Amino acid sequence: MNTYQVRIVRSDEKGVSRGVETFSVALADRMTVLDALFSIQANQDPSLSFRCACRVGMCGTCAMTINAVPRLACKTQVGRLDSPSVTIAPLPNLPVVKDLVISLEPFFEQWKKIKPALHSEARDSNELARIPAGSPYARETPRKRDCITCGICYAACGVKATSGEYLGPAAINKAFLRILDPRDDATEERLDVINGERAGIWRCHTQFGCTAACPKKIDLTDTLVRLKRAMLFPSKLKKLKKKGVSKAVS
Amino acid sequence: MKPDVATAVRKYRWQFSGMVAHVIQRATGVLLLVYLFLHVLTVNKLSQGPEAFNQALATFKSPLFKVLEIMLLGTVILHALNGIRITLIDLGVGHERQRQLFWVWSVGLGAVIFLAGGIPIFLAGVLKL
Repeated sequence: MNTYQVRIVRSDEKGVSRGVETFSVALADRMTVLDALFSIQANQDPSLSFRCACRVGMCGTCAMTINAVPRLACKTQVGRLDSPSVTIAPLPNLPVVKDLVISLEPFFEQWKKIKPALHSEARDSNELARIPAGSPYARETPRKRDCITCGICYAACGVKATSGEYLGPAAINKAFLRILDPRDDATEERLDVINGERAGIWRCHTQFGCTAACPKKIDLTDTLVRLKRAMLFPSKLKKLKKKGVSKAVS
Repeated sequence: MKPDVATAVRKYRWQFSGMVAHVIQRATGVLLLVYLFLHVLTVNKLSQGPEAFNQALATFKSPLFKVLEIMLLGTVILHALNGIRITLIDLGVGHERQRQLFWVWSVGLGAVIFLAGGIPIFLAGVLKL
């Protein structure tokens, strides 16, 4: 067991900062930041607020800033931080509810703008979409479909820090997936949104912050770069969509 | 810098190379803008006659300005090479290897060009060899 100094950025139930509080926590080698938070809550300060659910890195609920980097508390082993102290703060770019709890409302407001749901003209059809195994859609999208909407890319984005209107990497990635989806018919509407001057992909400065921080290792910058190219050369997008999809078949 | 942040910078600078490159590009851009004003101001001296212009040029031959010239060289090289990197990435070329592009192309090659150009200026302009 090693003893760590855990510094937590606290705030009251109105989100008003209460400064930083330091707790001394004894942790075993492979214990996580989430374990540290549970230990503090159980033994030192029951008023400490944080969110978690699955504890295995698949729900994205426990996203927070740990030693200056946004990440999942349940997947971050304290021992691997290479530091005798751990500073934990709520995710930036999102409003604080209390302590380490943030509201994902702005994140999902942007998410809704790109129409994340499937918009198919043949919604009531019983026909199945055929996606050839070698098609770009089948080849490219599995790596991008793992998003758990944790908000880490949104918090790690330097552009998002300065622009409330920017859609953010996760929403744009979702739009990309839908644009390539063989069953979807709302491509033009989505392209209009992501081509927006203030909110769209052109705000991205290719800082790679989202890609570097994503706990699911989604290459979000790749998505943005592809969409930028597609906007510059619309024929490429059409080709990609044609190759990637074959319309629903009986 | 707080110790945790310092550790994070040390530990994750490779992971967040893109952000480091972005900050460097902005900082060098601002420095070049400052230089641009100085440059326009100097060229403007021509309107005041050859003597005023020659006097301005004489100031730039002092060792202090030679050191600033070497720093300008570094700024231009870093900004230019990183600018090429960003253009390539935006065109979809090599973005999977953007970290290597930054450290090898922008910083590594930049350092070589900087030394090749900076050493002669230092020897002739500062040490007067």
